[in-house]
Amino acid sequence: MNGAKWKRPQRGEGFRPAEYLLLALITLAVALFCVCVGSVTVPLGDTLNAIEGALAGRDGAGTAAAIIISVRIPRVLCVALTGAALSLSGGAMQGLLRNPLADGSTLGVSSGASLGAVLAIAFGVSIPGLTGGGTTVMAMVFAFLSLLLILSLAHRLDYSLSTNTIILIGVVFSMFANSMISLVAAFAGDRVKTILFWTMGSLAGASYGNVLTVACALAVCGSVLLLHARELNAFAIGEDNARHVGIDLRRVKLVVLISVSALIGVCVSIGGTISFVGLVIPHMTRMLTGPNHRRLLPASMFGGAVFLMLADLLSRVIVRPMELPIGVVTSIVGSVVFVYIFYSTRRVR
Amino acid sequence: MKLRQCLALALSALLVAALPGCSLAGMSANTAASTDITDMAGREVRLPVWPAERIVVLSPADCEILYALGAGETVVGRGEYCDYPAEAQQAPVVQSGQDTNTEQIIALEPQVVVLSDMAQTDEQIAAIESAGIPVVVTDAQDIEGVYEASGLLGTVVNRGEEAAALEKEMRDRFAALDGSAAAGKSVYFEISPLEYGLWTAGTGTFMNEIADMLGLRNAFGDVSSWAGISQEQVIERSPDMIVTVTMYFGEGPTPVDEIRGRSGWEGIAAVADGAVYQVDNDAFTRPGPRLAEAAEVLADLIARSE
Repeated sequence: MNGAKWKRPQRGEGFRPAEYLLLALITLAVALFCVCVGSVTVPLGDTLNAIEGALAGRDGAGTAAAIIISVRIPRVLCVALTGAALSLSGGAMQGLLRNPLADGSTLGVSSGASLGAVLAIAFGVSIPGLTGGGTTVMAMVFAFLSLLLILSLAHRLDYSLSTNTIILIGVVFSMFANSMISLVAAFAGDRVKTILFWTMGSLAGASYGNVLTVACALAVCGSVLLLHARELNAFAIGEDNARHVGIDLRRVKLVVLISVSALIGVCVSIGGTISFVGLVIPHMTRMLTGPNHRRLLPASMFGGAVFLMLADLLSRVIVRPMELPIGVVTSIVGSVVFVYIFYSTRRVR
Repeated sequence: MKLRQCLALALSALLVAALPGCSLAGMSANTAASTDITDMAGREVRLPVWPAERIVVLSPADCEILYALGAGETVVGRGEYCDYPAEAQQAPVVQSGQDTNTEQIIALEPQVVVLSDMAQTDEQIAAIESAGIPVVVTDAQDIEGVYEASGLLGTVVNRGEEAAALEKEMRDRFAALDGSAAAGKSVYFEISPLEYGLWTAGTGTFMNEIADMLGLRNAFGDVSSWAGISQEQVIERSPDMIVTVTMYFGEGPTPVDEIRGRSGWEGIAAVADGAVYQVDNDAFTRPGPRLAEAAEVLADLIARSE
């Protein structure tokens, strides 16, 4: 393994078990809070009863049980996992590209994934025996192809992959993908409504099946990314540096990019495009943990989960009994932070 | 350099002066009687050709009204969503709403354009009028508004009697409904299914007005117009009837089965009693003659869910 070629990392570089426990406890507390608070006010006692009943295998009866077990818990779980996945992929991309503004939404990967999902719907692509499998796979494939296209274009134009080049290409590609979506929608007629969903994003109807899908994707791609934290550290210093310490550049790049696109593809196919999570959270986390990916990546996952759960909570309760699209909340927070990052990186230069 | 600029200026001034002249010349060729009317936006409109024989109608409801008045042959162009009655689909299509294309409208040489206040902007209206084509605006917010719109369009095509007859027929059909049929039952109208985020119709919608007529209580009467709502609220409010307007494209479960199969919805009264129904979106949402039909359909569903 190429890892053997350089000094073993010092103890304490990653998180200690106690620190992991703390992060997990915070996330769990936020999740519980989000399950207890919602559009309909369910007394805490009823909530706990419903959860206890479900854990004991009893079929929950009554409104409270239906709301908590069938609606709120799968939604909170799905939101948490999506937040973790988006944030992790954002963090990994920022490290790989040495670019603090890299993220699925700024690079146009999310739009590319949406385009894939839209094409799957318009042309009826499906995988037998797996409902929604066609859109998920197409979203993943298109996320990867978009990423390849964007990066190879960026390489051609500007070998150093400077922030401005990548963001500009990302913006252009997003516009291109979105106009392709509109074009497909124009030809798809009656199915337009289905298609519009991919441009907005909603986790309102999340089911346990969705939870399982995101969880599997996160388990596989997430561990691959976390196992490459040291390589990402080397990349963050510079590609030359990474090559000198004996990293197989092409292989690592490919593995990271595939994992990132798979994660983004799965998230988009379930929740549509949710902007800025992958941008804001790794950045905020970096202020706390420092740039070491062995700490940054796991912390980003927990941070992303907490952030998206709270954003979703806001979107559920702020205009009761109505509901805001979750993207509204994340975009408001995200764009402010985006401007801040852009401003502060410019000032340094 | 200077001379060129002067020339360009003079040329463009000439063009600007010539443009309105062109359209005026086009209109004056037709010398039928003109008339002045006030449309539903309160605008004074002069119709140089009256009764109008060439109409472009952008809103589906107004198109339905024109056909109901027997003035279908005056429709020489229709907005893309004007699809009812079937014979309306023979007229050439123009874009409407956000994508309204003034050129397409001008090319059809209408004597008047009928459009609805809700779907079009003032700028679009001004653009059509500046091409010398009068615009009649309808704005039906409730069923009374539908009568007013049919009266207005009746005037435009000089079919006042037919308009009065249409109003009387609708009023009679509404009057024939049993106002206490529902006996305080509640209904939840589903505009958008769970997959894309739930939307319902609250107060100020035609669905709400029709439900009111039948003594049916809108479960989301505290929400105004169309709004995205939370799934939890539907479960908690447990409506006695669920009426969805989601269209079925022949794949996967039907909208009714999909609603019945949602987890957590088993306890909702409507789902438990099998009172989940799908209705025609257009009849229930367009401010046109078919609202009477929609009310009868809903009355039927109430009777079925007894």
